[in-house]
Amino acid sequence: MIPIDRYPKEITLRDNTLVTLRPMIAGDAESLWSFLRQLPEIDKAHFHEDVDRREVVERWAKALDYDAVLPILAMRGDCVSGSATLYRNRTGWKQRIGIVRILIAPDVRHLGLGTAMIREIRHLGEKLALNYLLAEVIEEQQAAVRALERMGFEKAAVYRNFVNDRKGHLHNLVVLLHPMSGLEKDRFF
Amino acid sequence: MSCPICGREHSSSPGRGRRTPAKEGTCPYKGVAYVELRAGHDQIYFGRWRRMDASSIDLRKAYRQLERLLREIAAALETEDIPAARMDLEKAFEALNTAGSGEEGPESLRYMDHALSYAHRVIGDLLHEKGLPPHSPADFAGWYDAGEVPFREDW
Ligand SMILES: [Zn+2]
Repeated sequence: MIPIDRYPKEITLRDNTLVTLRPMIAGDAESLWSFLRQLPEIDKAHFHEDVDRREVVERWAKALDYDAVLPILAMRGDCVSGSATLYRNRTGWKQRIGIVRILIAPDVRHLGLGTAMIREIRHLGEKLALNYLLAEVIEEQQAAVRALERMGFEKAAVYRNFVNDRKGHLHNLVVLLHPMSGLEKDRFF
Repeated sequence: MSCPICGREHSSSPGRGRRTPAKEGTCPYKGVAYVELRAGHDQIYFGRWRRMDASSIDLRKAYRQLERLLREIAAALETEDIPAARMDLEKAFEALNTAGSGEEGPESLRYMDHALSYAHRVIGDLLHEKGLPPHSPADFAGWYDAGEVPFREDW
């Protein structure tokens, strides 16, 4: 069961901005596309596709499958201010690992939205009985790395000059892991 | 508990109540959600035990305050469905036990620090469930005899 009964969830940011968290739906393509377009290049480096192209985002919106990819959007009115996505494999040796991707709009940074999104993903990960959450962050994204660490993620590895951005420049990749409570129960089987 | 700043008993209001700006003479904790937990946290956070000249009495006092804070957090968590917070609370108790089991010294201090950090995260989880921003001790530092308060960057 995907634990989405907690949505929509309203949260207040440090500057009293009200944001509503909820899973992405098909009708969000346009607002998600606008959100992605305003993000700095470095935040988009991990995407396999050119998310500045509207048809790419429209295709995602049509193919939503929460079992595999669960995108939680932070909405301010009709605008997307942030997203936290949990990627899962339904079968195979990584089915107890959730991969986390969090994106925050430049105009709401440092107001606690990123941390709130990490809390959401931690909650979902626990409810889905995952053993680990895994986050991959480019080392320059220091605020994100520190926020993940404060929320219980631990640096597992730093790969030097490992990933390239869309202009071909190389960056260090930080891999962070968050052990979940289910791990303790599983460990001795 | 009585408030570490004004000495009064603040009633808990874990609702959506936001912090009312402190007028002169009024207590900054008045009306905030989970007031006992936040005031209890800050009392330890800004406590003497972390100073260079702390005595063993300061340390024992902080240990007892931490014990009480964790018990109060456990009580608040009982009615909430936040598994991640439960895990953090367990770790907080573990750290506190480790701190209490050995001799007093830097190791003990370090584990008490860990316990307090876990407690802070759980308080943040409780607040998040109510839709509120996390607790920031820096917002209350002015009311304590606090030296330098580490800057806590938010994301
Ligand atoms: Zn007071």
